[in-house]
Amino acid sequence: MSNFNRRQFLQAAGAATACAALPRAASANTYGRVVVVGGGFGGATVAKYLRLWGGDVQVTLVEPNPTHIACILSNLVLTSALSMSRITLGYSALQTNHGVSLMQGRAIAIDPPGKRLTVQTPTGQESLDYDHLVLAPGIDFAPAPGLWDPNLTPHAWQAGEQTTRLKNQIAAMRNGDRFVMTVPKSPYRCPPGPYERACVVADYLKAKRRTGAKVIVLDANPSIQAEPEAFGRAFSDTHRGVIQYFPNAQVQSIDSASRSIVTSAGTINNATVLNYIPNQKAGAIAALLGVNSTGFVPVNPLTYATAISTIHVIGDSCAVPASDGKAVPKSGHMANSEAKVCADAILRALNGEAADQNIATSSACYSPITARTASWLSANFIYGDIYDANGKVKGKGMHRLDIGEAPGQRVNNDSYQEMFTWADSLFADSFV
Amino acid sequence: MPFPSKTISLIALSIGTVLGSTPAVAQVPPGRMLASQCAQCHGTNGQGPGFEELAGKSANDLYGDLREMKLRPVEGIMDRQARGYTDQQLRLIADYLSTVTPSGNAD
Repeated sequence: MSNFNRRQFLQAAGAATACAALPRAASANTYGRVVVVGGGFGGATVAKYLRLWGGDVQVTLVEPNPTHIACILSNLVLTSALSMSRITLGYSALQTNHGVSLMQGRAIAIDPPGKRLTVQTPTGQESLDYDHLVLAPGIDFAPAPGLWDPNLTPHAWQAGEQTTRLKNQIAAMRNGDRFVMTVPKSPYRCPPGPYERACVVADYLKAKRRTGAKVIVLDANPSIQAEPEAFGRAFSDTHRGVIQYFPNAQVQSIDSASRSIVTSAGTINNATVLNYIPNQKAGAIAALLGVNSTGFVPVNPLTYATAISTIHVIGDSCAVPASDGKAVPKSGHMANSEAKVCADAILRALNGEAADQNIATSSACYSPITARTASWLSANFIYGDIYDANGKVKGKGMHRLDIGEAPGQRVNNDSYQEMFTWADSLFADSFV
Repeated sequence: MPFPSKTISLIALSIGTVLGSTPAVAQVPPGRMLASQCAQCHGTNGQGPGFEELAGKSANDLYGDLREMKLRPVEGIMDRQARGYTDQQLRLIADYLSTVTPSGNAD
């Protein structure tokens, strides 16, 4: 030990400094400040589980809105089957049940060396010091080609006011009218969501006896991206004559004023309703950490850390390393799943421990096909080798172990009822 | 620069002592994070609300059910979800959930 060189001494001195901070940790875990940005499924869940598992770790959730309006079940708000209040989730239980601190505001800047976040609040700017920062801002939209005004031609891909706008436009449709929607290029939030929307809007128009009314689906992708059997049957059978599906329809320009859209598969002028769902990318605050070619932030699958080990990105904004063609889907359920892995890894890091490698993540969801029937989708991932398109190991990541949709006979009313059990459980596990 | 060997050994000792007395990670039950993947549909800690409550069920029953669902032809969604875990992981999940106190709200 006596022949340590100067560099080793500095490292040891660093260890001694870290050590000096540890007695705080020893006294009932009064260590650790974690700031979470974004109060959707990922952000709410990571805040909750950090407190649930982390003793006295301090958690502050930064979110501009007073409530979260879930995209989950929001297609049923479009058809008036559910009210907006049914999918509106508050933050009070995170405070009262779990001791999460809330700051209403928008994160605008990060100082990684200083471990400090700047938040724009209604009354000014505030700074929050952190040991770990978790960013869960959800999606942003890629720029639209042409003249897109979401007030005129709503996306309704972030639920709330947009959902109400689209709902009112659908309610105003009459005989022979055309509902035209786009499916964004993958990866996008909720792979089954656009196809589900096409189904429930078609079902609504039939129930309202809107003779000759059509749902026209312009898919930027070469095929249906989720539950191809259930949605394929729905398009060609259940909603035959109402839904018209066009693959490989990449949007070249849009004009909201005339509700016209030009795609690589054809042009539609003067749609009655134009539901343009744009291509997607990481939320702006997460994108500061650097994005990949698809616009999302690469993360370590064991910790959800970015290139900066104390800054994590979970949920729709992150890009998890996965086998080619077996991407981890962007969904509220998956964001909840990733949040738990991230929370566990942060708590271990605060204790100087390495992340657990025996991990699994999952997604499951139910998709209404009509006002009485639903399908489901299930996908599971475990940490380990991931593979390229030729089956060669390309590294470590979340390998998709299983995926599948409901067998045909299970696309039924039982599944429709189970959909609400699933949603309410997921809402509670994330927000209560 | 001669490094004071006594100091470094003291530091090493104090690191060991402090880490040894830090409870959080040492007490993390194996299977807790894996079992948290059940919570989206069965409630936090398997205590509901959601599909059937899992908290406090017999570990052998849970493991047996999960293995059966994993191996039988797919009918329901759990037959798929059970395929997403190794047998060792299913055992850890079952063992953890068996240690959780039931909510008292079971039907």
